Amino acid sequence: MPERMFSVAQSGWLAVCLWLLLGGSTLAAAFNPTPEALEKNRQANLKCLACHSEAALRQPPKVDLDLKKLRGLIVDPAAFAASSHARLACGKCHTEGYAEHPHAEDAKDMTSTCDDCHSKQARVIEAEFEQSVHADNLTEPMTCLTCHNPHRMQAAKNLKQPDLIVAQDNRVCLGCHDSDATFAQYAPEKKTRPLTDDAHAWLPNARMHWKSVRCVECHTPSNPNTQSHQILSKDKAVKDCVACHSRDSLLSARLYRHLAEEDQRKYGFINSAILGKPYVVGATRNPLLDGIVIALVVLTLVGMLAHGLVRYLAARLRRRKQHD
Amino acid sequence: MTERIYLFPLWLRLWHWANALLILVLGVTGISLHFAGPDMYLVDFSLAVRIHNVAGLALAALYGFFVIANAVSGNWWQYVPKSPGVLQRCWTQTRFYLWGVFKGEHEPFPMTREANFNALQAIIYWLVMYLLLPITIVSGLIYLNPQWAPARMFGLDGLLPVALLHYLSAAVILMFAISHVYLGTMGARPTSTHKTMITGWHEAE
Repeated sequence: MPERMFSVAQSGWLAVCLWLLLGGSTLAAAFNPTPEALEKNRQANLKCLACHSEAALRQPPKVDLDLKKLRGLIVDPAAFAASSHARLACGKCHTEGYAEHPHAEDAKDMTSTCDDCHSKQARVIEAEFEQSVHADNLTEPMTCLTCHNPHRMQAAKNLKQPDLIVAQDNRVCLGCHDSDATFAQYAPEKKTRPLTDDAHAWLPNARMHWKSVRCVECHTPSNPNTQSHQILSKDKAVKDCVACHSRDSLLSARLYRHLAEEDQRKYGFINSAILGKPYVVGATRNPLLDGIVIALVVLTLVGMLAHGLVRYLAARLRRRKQHD
Repeated sequence: MTERIYLFPLWLRLWHWANALLILVLGVTGISLHFAGPDMYLVDFSLAVRIHNVAGLALAALYGFFVIANAVSGNWWQYVPKSPGVLQRCWTQTRFYLWGVFKGEHEPFPMTREANFNALQAIIYWLVMYLLLPITIVSGLIYLNPQWAPARMFGLDGLLPVALLHYLSAAVILMFAISHVYLGTMGARPTSTHKTMITGWHEAE
């Protein structure tokens, strides 16, 4: 009997390593494709976009297209090209049944779900979402796709610029919370849309705030590693101005976290990443300038007190001399 | 026996104290906002924002009244240092503050109906009232309506230079206010000048 090359344990370990290696390399290959693979993906995607785009609605490439159905299935090629999924082939997620047209009846059922690729994040997000106000209140079950359009969304760490991150993320929230029609699609039947302006009446310049910071800045608990998906109701949300408007502004750990550290140090201001972005009262400060201003004010105060004291003592001395 | 002269009409005294009160309120709330944080115990941030906004608008309106009333009444002329010898008179006044006052010397340029301010006061008051305060008010109004600020300035957010200007000009006004209150004790008696601003009557030495 020939000697076994590996023990059972060794074989198991080898299998795990191989699986990790292959799985890892597959994922790596998907997100870091070679230039040839990228071009191949692009060409394949062009075939899909030939029908699934606005241009196809205006000028259908085929005669037998159901334009009414297609209208709900179009992708903006420019937005997709800028999205975080731009390097992937459509077929990465739309796996089977799409090779021919008409597509297979059950093709949609075979589309990959988000956690097929993002399994690690999905576990954390699901747990957070269970605690979210959206987990309790919605009639229709919410999925990642309810908020995140995979053909459009860009990861915050890639966008970097806070104004772009804010515009993208707040569009998601306000998409429902600023529209009665969209809100009604998800809300229970008798639930009317809370008026966002009224709910934020306590916040000065509320609409200006929404252009500069994300809703989730206040409506999620602080999470040091990732953006939490536990959306908090208005009763639990942060309602403390100095959480942002202070030296230790939470914006540095949230909205501005993706800006490079050297960029933050560039101007010598505290929270200097905010410098290039909207000025934040109480958070955008220059310690040197503040030190000089405080020193000058204190010097004025002390100078006046000292002057007064010397005046008083000199007058007393003069009176004493006159008396003598 | 001291001589009494009527210097300040009612409108000027009312303006002066309203201005003083608003600057005090704006100073306290402004400090609370700029140095905001969990360890800031002056005024709560959201309350400070509301007070600062209302008081700021009131100060802007009051400043408009000041400029018009000053022009109509001719009081603006008091703020103009009169030639010749402005620099020499400024130096004499400075020397008095730094030395003469300790030796019991008399005020070199006592207040008269024609000249309420000595040359040094005229220059400083002019700078404060016609340069610093307008800068603070205009930058404050832009601050209140951030959409008025240029989107970008020097490659930075347009509101940053506006905010810096507001902060620095307000800080100088605060320093002026401290010295102003103290120098008010240099009348015939320490309280004389403050009383003058209440009654309008000046007690000459």
